[in-house]
Amino acid sequence: MRLHPLTSLAAAGSTAVITTAAASLPLSLAVMGAAVALSARSGTARRLLPAAAAVLLPLGLSLLVMHGLFFPEGRTVLAQWGMARVTAEGLAFALERAAQLGAVVLALLVFSFSVSVPDLVAVLSSRGLHGRFAFVLASTLTLLPAITSRVERIRQAQESRGLVVRRGLLHRAAAFRLQAVPLVLSLIEDAGTRTAALEARGFSNPGPRTSYRAVPDPRGQRVLRAALLAAAAAAVAARLLLTQAGS
Amino acid sequence: MSPSLTMPAPAPAAARKRRLLEILGAVAIAATYIYLVLNQPADITGGPGSASALIALSGFLAGAILLIVAVLPALPASSVVLIPVALVLNIVLGQFVGSTLVPFYLDAIGTVLIAVLAGPAAGAATGALSSIVWSFFNPTVLPFAAGAALIGCLAGLAARHGMFRRFYLAPVAGFVTGIIGGVVSAPVAAFVFGGTSGVATGAIVSAFRSMGDTLLAAITKQALISDPMDKAIVFTVVAVLAYALPRRARLQFPFVRRHRVLAGTTPGQDS
Repeated sequence: MRLHPLTSLAAAGSTAVITTAAASLPLSLAVMGAAVALSARSGTARRLLPAAAAVLLPLGLSLLVMHGLFFPEGRTVLAQWGMARVTAEGLAFALERAAQLGAVVLALLVFSFSVSVPDLVAVLSSRGLHGRFAFVLASTLTLLPAITSRVERIRQAQESRGLVVRRGLLHRAAAFRLQAVPLVLSLIEDAGTRTAALEARGFSNPGPRTSYRAVPDPRGQRVLRAALLAAAAAAVAARLLLTQAGS
Repeated sequence: MSPSLTMPAPAPAAARKRRLLEILGAVAIAATYIYLVLNQPADITGGPGSASALIALSGFLAGAILLIVAVLPALPASSVVLIPVALVLNIVLGQFVGSTLVPFYLDAIGTVLIAVLAGPAAGAATGALSSIVWSFFNPTVLPFAAGAALIGCLAGLAARHGMFRRFYLAPVAGFVTGIIGGVVSAPVAAFVFGGTSGVATGAIVSAFRSMGDTLLAAITKQALISDPMDKAIVFTVVAVLAYALPRRARLQFPFVRRHRVLAGTTPGQDS
């Protein structure tokens, strides 16, 4: 069965909210494991894992250094070099935060790597107000690869005119200007042309839109979505009540 | 683009509703910030820090989404078409500069450029949308949507009041914007992430922590060191780019014509 894009978005979002609200290390680790298993089953793990690592490794390292070495609130000192004190509390805090963030990042990345962008855009634009948001989302996701190759072409063109990036800040700034100005200029020119074309097709006119792409939305999934959102709201409410009771 | 002559004009009630949503969004962001700073939740480094993380996340995100809902339908089509361009510039130039000029990350060039060309409302919408769309690849930027919206809005206000007409004023405006943006984004870094995402900025935070600061104070001080410099560079880069555009490209934007944002483009000259 294929999931409706909004159902998978609700699933990823409520997983993220519930993990944050629960703030328990075992749950975070379980969610991380489940997310990796899910992406391996759907065959997106090869693209997802490098993307997740690029986000999570620097973040985890930074947390480990920051709280592992310097944690003034820590009591149990494990080792000490001058100003730096390794405390058990600091390490536990870093580990807990890293696991919590890892679970949230993986859950959301599983959604964005598995969702079909045309389906998502069709669903969003059939719902009135979101038409413009759908345009921005779809346009960005399709522009990104095109522009990466345009940056490469501009660099080659400037190099064939004799651009050599030398060392030193001023040289690099000049090289940056030589490449950024043509890029920005061509993008703004394109946008002007696109405005005229979209306007001629009634882009900013009010009224309903017809989509050629039909995305089935079975009743069961609508109920599931409502249940997921209710669970997330309940988790937030429970956490806030517990904090109130604790303090 | 001239307004449509055949379609009905938007009712004033709709404009009032949008204004209300804008104000609600701004109030949500301000209230969340004030709550977090005044309450200085003690649970940030003791116990599970998740109640404050949830408040920071939901307050800032709700504010950013309200701003998008209020601003996006009212923008002219020429600004809406520029928003994806800005998002791509944020991502591509951010990476590009990151690989050539080492110490800064400069991920707001597109947002500030749109704010200068199309005004504060478009800048705010671009900043918030940029965080939301970028979170498709990197979910950790999502909580900073409110801060990015604020930077876009402030850049547009600076442009409207002529800060880009004199070349030396642009970095000053960037510096001030960076102070405000950094202070507002610091609670997100502290409560949601428990730190910063970069190793270099993490080292600065560690230095303040080793002097016994609380986590929020240490991260705010770190933001006050790196954000103003970062935004001053971004504003300068945007000024260079905006003046490098040919007159025809610059003057296609009503905001630039009406408020004489850039030097040498007097309102009488557009025809």
